[in-house]
Amino acid sequence: MACTFFLDWRSSVSIRKVIKVLEDRISIKMPENQADSSVEIILANQIGYERLAMACSASFAKMFGFSKDRIEDLKTIVAEAAINAMQHGNKGRRDAKVRVSLGYSDGTIRVRVTDEGEGIGVKPPNPNISKIIEEDGAICGFGLFLIEQLADQVEYRKNAHKGHVVEMALRMKA
Amino acid sequence: MQNKNEIALEKHGSVVMLNIQGDITSFSEPFLNQAYSDANDQGAEKLLLNVEDGAYINSGGIAVLIQILAQTKKNSQQICITGLSDHFKKIFNMVGITKFADIYEDVDSAITAMSG
Repeated sequence: MACTFFLDWRSSVSIRKVIKVLEDRISIKMPENQADSSVEIILANQIGYERLAMACSASFAKMFGFSKDRIEDLKTIVAEAAINAMQHGNKGRRDAKVRVSLGYSDGTIRVRVTDEGEGIGVKPPNPNISKIIEEDGAICGFGLFLIEQLADQVEYRKNAHKGHVVEMALRMKA
Repeated sequence: MQNKNEIALEKHGSVVMLNIQGDITSFSEPFLNQAYSDANDQGAEKLLLNVEDGAYINSGGIAVLIQILAQTKKNSQQICITGLSDHFKKIFNMVGITKFADIYEDVDSAITAMSG
């Protein structure tokens, strides 16, 4: 089963209303062959749209019986990877896209977030909040830090065709 | 798509509570900074951030909150947070916010503890 959403509207409708509708209405049928199940969401490169990917990923995980705690973890890693893709990968370009794909097999959800950029280069060190607060340190790296803390596996690599991809795996049980 | 925050200040004895309506993201920076400035105008020595139930907080919002924590540290103010879901309590603990701000289950228990 493959299902693609293309979300690129420009209306002034409240994002909270959209998310509520998505969370209430998205219903994905359990496929007969779970190994073939996947969902792909194509997002406009605009901060805020990551919430649509969060809503879809939550519905996807719920379908496979993930707990509320793990669904929250999944929503956060999807959101942070999508935000990084929009800001750092696509460098805020309004004509760029972010692709989020979700797949399930063997009790694990695998998420791929693809942008049109060159990759993260040198990974920033983990943020040190004491240094930030007491020594006016730079506030950066929290998104990657959260992804690496919450996901069971994370890989960064160039996409075969174009852009950069972050692949994350989240097991049903942490 | 940019979210806005409405932040109302309430004084409870020595505690100034910031009732934060809306999600906390990078777009929250001007709203939180203004509310913090307003609290300072009231002479706040103790601040309680009351996050709306079900609010979405991302890394951009965490960065904004850390900026506020840094200012409270410089100004020798006590700061606490309430209204967080279990998930965001875990996140705040992971990033180390709990080293600088105590987290309380609800407003009443926070104000009682801070007033002591």
